[in-house]
Amino acid sequence: MIRAVPAGDVVALAAALFAVGAVGVLVRKNPLIMFMSAEMMWNAAALAFIGYAAEWHQMQGQLMAFLIIATAAAEVGIGLALIVWVYHKKLRLDVDDVSEMKG
Amino acid sequence: MMHFLEPEIIAAVGVLATLVAAMLASSRSTVPYWFGLVFSAAALARASMLHLSTHLYGGAVLGDSYSIVVTVFTLLAVMAGLLLAWDPDKYGAEFPALLQLAGLGAMVMGFAGNLILLFLGLELLSLPLYVLAASRRTPLGGEAGLKYLLMGAFSSGILLFGAALLYGGTGSMTFVNFTAVHVVPGLMAAGLGFLLVGLLFKLAIVPFHMWVPDVYEGSPTPVAAFMAFGTKVGAAAALLRVLAFGFSLSAAWWGLMLGYLAVLTMIAGNMVALPQRDLKRLLAWSGVGNAGYVLVGIASHNLLGAQAALFYLLPYGLAILLAFTVVRVLEGREESPVTLASLKGLAYRQPWLAVGFLVAMLSLAGIPLTAGFIGKFYLVRGAIAADQWGVAVGLVVATIVGLAVYFRPVQQMFAPGDGASGRFTVGTGVVLAAAALGTLFIGIYPEPVLHAVIQSARFTWLH
Repeated sequence: MIRAVPAGDVVALAAALFAVGAVGVLVRKNPLIMFMSAEMMWNAAALAFIGYAAEWHQMQGQLMAFLIIATAAAEVGIGLALIVWVYHKKLRLDVDDVSEMKG
Repeated sequence: MMHFLEPEIIAAVGVLATLVAAMLASSRSTVPYWFGLVFSAAALARASMLHLSTHLYGGAVLGDSYSIVVTVFTLLAVMAGLLLAWDPDKYGAEFPALLQLAGLGAMVMGFAGNLILLFLGLELLSLPLYVLAASRRTPLGGEAGLKYLLMGAFSSGILLFGAALLYGGTGSMTFVNFTAVHVVPGLMAAGLGFLLVGLLFKLAIVPFHMWVPDVYEGSPTPVAAFMAFGTKVGAAAALLRVLAFGFSLSAAWWGLMLGYLAVLTMIAGNMVALPQRDLKRLLAWSGVGNAGYVLVGIASHNLLGAQAALFYLLPYGLAILLAFTVVRVLEGREESPVTLASLKGLAYRQPWLAVGFLVAMLSLAGIPLTAGFIGKFYLVRGAIAADQWGVAVGLVVATIVGLAVYFRPVQQMFAPGDGASGRFTVGTGVVLAAAALGTLFIGIYPEPVLHAVIQSARFTWLH
């Protein structure tokens, strides 16, 4: 008999990924890496949805995972364009450089 | 069965029609702007005729008068944004479609009854705004877009993880089904906490507000005006709906937490607004303080508070639109920064503009006979009915600090000196007149508007 991976393990992995992503956003200075870390948080949430969907024997969680992936793709399209554009202006990627507004 | 979604359907068709118009017309044509304005006006007219209470798809889509009020507020913000940006040479042909799309997102947040729609509405609101925030072709514009994008992606990630935990705790996505499970156990409490943090980022409540001043300063003024009104309407509507529908039984827990945050936000927002020199930054910090006022109503977790929070969005929105209109007129086509010093002598140079600005400042400060006073009065009433005396006192203290904040620009306006002056366009003139008259009308004769809004926030789960 094949036993499914327990939902608790899946969610633990998702929580670890989420924590790594959150630390990445808060600690790193390169907007590209920060953006990637934020996407990692999204994917961690998608994974948690899938784990719980298996536990509750429901489709809604899986549906949500697909919607998260689709929305993340749209966001990456906008985000990468923006980051590249700012890079062209500054020729360097560091959020501390991108701060002319103070106060 | 779908007819209660007609305003949103008109708005969605309007987005597509505006996109096609932007493709077909030349890039300097005002045709897309007209499309956006006409479809938004049609959706507004349809929404104001609806009276119903129903739901679709097992409570996923909630068509009640609450969602209608949110739709009306959002459409007002969209139309004001379009009128302020009525300059295709400068803002481009895609501007109206993007702004309408963001407005549609806020409307979805208004009728969302489950986590899926809440997330989709939030992203539909945010994604076009990332583009719009960066649409000034200057380093400041890029900085605004980048900061908004990173903060938005981060906060959406937190919100999503909270949603996943709530789903795990209940096996359901629908808000109403959360009530069955107590929040006190770890999983649900963590889920609700993450979800709230995600929404509070959008509403700009104090520990999560740091992006607001930079994004408002760097964005084009019409976009900042929409963000100040439309985004806050969407976020506050969704926040109130989640808490009232899903967590009414654990209200004491989140009511206390949000009460502390509200006091912190009101006082910090107004204190930091005090020394600002740039008018857009001052308005951004004032927007942070006002988000705290809205949160007072939500934190008081009773019917009076919910009604007051929903109502306060309108006086605040009208006043902030009015103030941004003045910025838009004074900054001119070059978008030169408007500081307090550039207001010097405005009352003598452009008296009508000065009158509009005066009404905005009086309403934001909460002076009687303006809409802001009525809004604050009901918020205090809600907090007292919830026995949250600390929050009520905090609101009064913040309002006193606010008096000083809004007195400074008015004083500059009457001081002799040679500041900036700008030319009215038809669009800015219409927004200025409509928002100023609306503010005074609600302040002097609040009954009709107040009644309509109060009827719509009848969440029977809150007592």
